[in-house]
Amino acid sequence: MKNRIRIIDNATGQPVEAELFDEVTVEHFIETQQEWRPIVLKAARQLAARGSHQLIPQHFHWDWTTKAPELNVLANTFYGIRYENKLQGLMKLETVGQFCSCRLPEQAGNALVYVDYVEVAPWNLKPLMSSLGEKARYNAIGSRLIEAAVLKSKEEDCKGRIGLHSLPITESFYAKACRMTPVGRDPAKQNLLWLEYTPEQAENFLTGAR
Amino acid sequence: MADKRTMTLNLTDQEMSLLEELSARRDVSKTALLRQALRLYQMVEVRLSRGEKLFFEDEQKKKAELVVV
Repeated sequence: MKNRIRIIDNATGQPVEAELFDEVTVEHFIETQQEWRPIVLKAARQLAARGSHQLIPQHFHWDWTTKAPELNVLANTFYGIRYENKLQGLMKLETVGQFCSCRLPEQAGNALVYVDYVEVAPWNLKPLMSSLGEKARYNAIGSRLIEAAVLKSKEEDCKGRIGLHSLPITESFYAKACRMTPVGRDPAKQNLLWLEYTPEQAENFLTGAR
Repeated sequence: MADKRTMTLNLTDQEMSLLEELSARRDVSKTALLRQALRLYQMVEVRLSRGEKLFFEDEQKKKAELVVV
């Protein structure tokens, strides 16, 4: 699958056409290690030196290459966004597994698509680029990935229901920008906040995103 | 979306009742539930083939290994 999607070029404020794809390979994982991780670590060091510990990305240690064995498991779906021949974002979904059940009382036990990992290229993250004295390049990468997760949920007959554990630094993005419902902290997952969409909320998000 | 192929599935009354009950509980179609079951089966198979073990844990944290044949 390859779809044309729109992201925002922060230099002009105008939308540009990028590519959303699901044929993710180990080469994409290697690209994140080679292209993304050095920038993330450099920014983390800068932020630590300034004492801005709360802005240090909590995912700085992620290594997508460890997920290579999961590429051929049908329960997992990976999506990437590419623009100007660079990977701008990457996401892993699970359609089956431990966290693929709703927790909101009105839909408890219903099937959902679990957003296991989302990462946006560091040059698109404002706090990171500010620490390096630069501006973030593209906007709406995270929203496009969540949009893809909702569409996958609909394709899987989960009616748009998705759920995820958010790192503290991204809680406001999911709760305020995406308008997901914060359900509660999960002791089974480092006490991270669990957020979820109902079908109606997912539809509202898609409508707003278009 | 990947291309899909159609097959006929023969189930006993009990199996069909179970499929209907589970798909209603999960609020998905019977087809979607069976596709999920197939993926779950593959996931278990892959992890067992890597040498991992599958356990159930009760409220007292007592673990029981599930042997998949």
